[in-house]
Amino acid sequence: MREVGIVGIGHTKFGRSKTGYIEMACAAALEALDDAGVKPLAGHGIDQVLLATMGASMINHQSSVASALVDTLNLRPAMAETVENGPASGASAIKMGYSLIASGMADTVLVIGAEMMRVVSGWEGTDFVATMLHPEAEYDLGLTLPALAGMFTRLVMDSYGVTERDLALVAVKNHQNALANPVAHIRLVPDLHAISEDEDKDAVNPYVAEPLRLYDVCPVSDGAAAVLLCALDVAERFPKKPIRIAGIGQATDTHTIAEREVPTDLYAVREAARQAYRMSGLCPDDIDVAELHDAFLILEIVESEEVGFFKRGEGHLAVREGKTSLGGQIPINTSGGLKAKGHPLGATGVSQTVEIVKQLRGEAQGRQVTDAQRGLLVNFGGFGNNVVALILEKEA
Amino acid sequence: MFEETEGAVYGYRCTACNELHYPKHQVCRACAGREFEEFPLEGEATLVTWTKLYNLPEGYMKPYLYFGIVAYGNGIRAAGQLEVSSPRLGMKVATTTGLVKEGGKDDVIGLIYR
Amino acid sequence: MAIDKTEQMLRPQESPLAPYEAKYITLANGQKLVVHQLKREQAPLAMEAVKPLMTVEADFYDIVASRVYAELLGWYRYRVKDEYLLAGTIDGVIVGLVNGRTIDDKVGLSYHTITLRQGLRIGAQLFAAKMEYHFDVLGQEEVWIVAESPNGFKRWMIEYELEPRPEQWHELGGVPTYVLTRALWEKHRQAKCTGRRPVPQELLETASQLILPESYAQIPGYQRSV
Repeated sequence: MREVGIVGIGHTKFGRSKTGYIEMACAAALEALDDAGVKPLAGHGIDQVLLATMGASMINHQSSVASALVDTLNLRPAMAETVENGPASGASAIKMGYSLIASGMADTVLVIGAEMMRVVSGWEGTDFVATMLHPEAEYDLGLTLPALAGMFTRLVMDSYGVTERDLALVAVKNHQNALANPVAHIRLVPDLHAISEDEDKDAVNPYVAEPLRLYDVCPVSDGAAAVLLCALDVAERFPKKPIRIAGIGQATDTHTIAEREVPTDLYAVREAARQAYRMSGLCPDDIDVAELHDAFLILEIVESEEVGFFKRGEGHLAVREGKTSLGGQIPINTSGGLKAKGHPLGATGVSQTVEIVKQLRGEAQGRQVTDAQRGLLVNFGGFGNNVVALILEKEA
Repeated sequence: MFEETEGAVYGYRCTACNELHYPKHQVCRACAGREFEEFPLEGEATLVTWTKLYNLPEGYMKPYLYFGIVAYGNGIRAAGQLEVSSPRLGMKVATTTGLVKEGGKDDVIGLIYR
Repeated sequence: MAIDKTEQMLRPQESPLAPYEAKYITLANGQKLVVHQLKREQAPLAMEAVKPLMTVEADFYDIVASRVYAELLGWYRYRVKDEYLLAGTIDGVIVGLVNGRTIDDKVGLSYHTITLRQGLRIGAQLFAAKMEYHFDVLGQEEVWIVAESPNGFKRWMIEYELEPRPEQWHELGGVPTYVLTRALWEKHRQAKCTGRRPVPQELLETASQLILPESYAQIPGYQRSV
């Protein structure tokens, strides 16, 4: 099997897009091509384009978007497919790009993740995201992702002593990190006391799904990110040194969360990470920086346990001790995470990858983890029923 | 707001090995059987977790709804709307069914725990 | 300036409205939002604060800003009866405005809520303060409300469970009227209405500076000329 690396990255400013869907996706793609020194003219050498999106068809009313992108980017006759795997579409598309290169089907694959959510109202968006839940046993009841996250949070709080203040600590950390990330959606750092203890907290940080509050939940964002993958045996074509994809894992879990055997576990995260460690020959101690899918802040804490950074039930203690902050034992979500950088569903896994590449290249100005050699990311679909983990490594 | 129970929500018993499922699966998780018989979800259950959800999706004109996940004595766990005044983990609730979504193309009858 | 007889006839008979005592709220980022009442002579300043938003189509800012402007102008030039204006300020900068008027002792009429600085739930705090003024200060029994944006509708009509009363005409016209009754206010006050009094002297002095916003996130590139 051929080894695969990342030689170009691109990322739009997350938030509310001022352009149309295709233009937004292309902005990230072109930045990645520029970063990789690729000119989209005849002989451009891009064999395949993969577009990760969850809502282009349902929200933006556009289908077969990957084919449209190839043409407008002047990358014909590259192969093209659109990949939909819920909020894990981004890392899924990278996995598929990896497989195409490893198998010899392609030498270079451009992966673009793009989502434009802000064209619909918040409650239409909430309804759209909820369509990934079980149609009869969850969606029809009025359940939404925040509702499932609220119920999950209550269980974890009850089992392990996680507090609302612990979640607020994660919020402050991630928002602080986002200030140093020019592409982050939210440029505001909440005050720990104001959102977790002040007598005005119920009005300024109201409950969204008890016990989850507004500042425990990611915003709705538009945005796009792109990475150019290539076989390491052709990497000398590109100016920048490749960041190697060292490990990939993916696992699924029950569709309804009520059926999970241990309701406080995120089994698919654990299993996806286990596979990624096995493939890379690495262990949690080898990881220098991580992007974990914190659409709801409880997820960052439990994922940090499931990927092996901390013991079960101790992730929140690590947050209290600053172990997941910049300069700590294992900095998590240096980009600001989904919480502050934003969560344009299909773009998220690609965006997480861009952040890890920046960290390993030493390009994460203002939030750089010193001498980062290896990074892990977890891209979480559904409410954890389809999870992709990637491990990236700087080439020696 | 207590409405008469309308309809019923069913669990599924594998006819080959008796393994219980909810919601419906096409293949039995225990024996890979493909035949199931329905049984109504009914009676008392234990509240496993709950939330009070604000910002309901399009179609709901209410400020909030309560939801819970419950466990039945037979091992089935299910999610439903929750109509109890002060929910707490481990409390006993009764299974009912009623209108859980209105205003769309069709009214939806679903599980409501009281 | 002497007021001639015709002008006198055109001016409404004003009823005295009890003053709204200033309060302050600690926002999510730790900043203090001071909510305080503005006087008629301060209306032009408030109008300047909303004026740039009259061209912003997104989120219906154009409609809301234009109407607030007109309502304040009408008040300032004595063409609206019994209007009031509350401002939210942070470090003296105007970040949001709410206005309305009374129809009689019992019934209030909500005009508009406009948030100049977004992302801190300032609009929600100001709307609650406006209702606090009608019910807890003026002692009214109900407030008539209409919404012009989906956000407004979702926030006020659904979160406060307002009573629809489509047969009752709101002077902003258009959409059906919804009503916040005293019973609904009592039900929702605790969750929605927050803040502390009295406002420390220093904070109040800063608030009274009424500084116009230098820029608006809603208008990329806008910079108030100095």
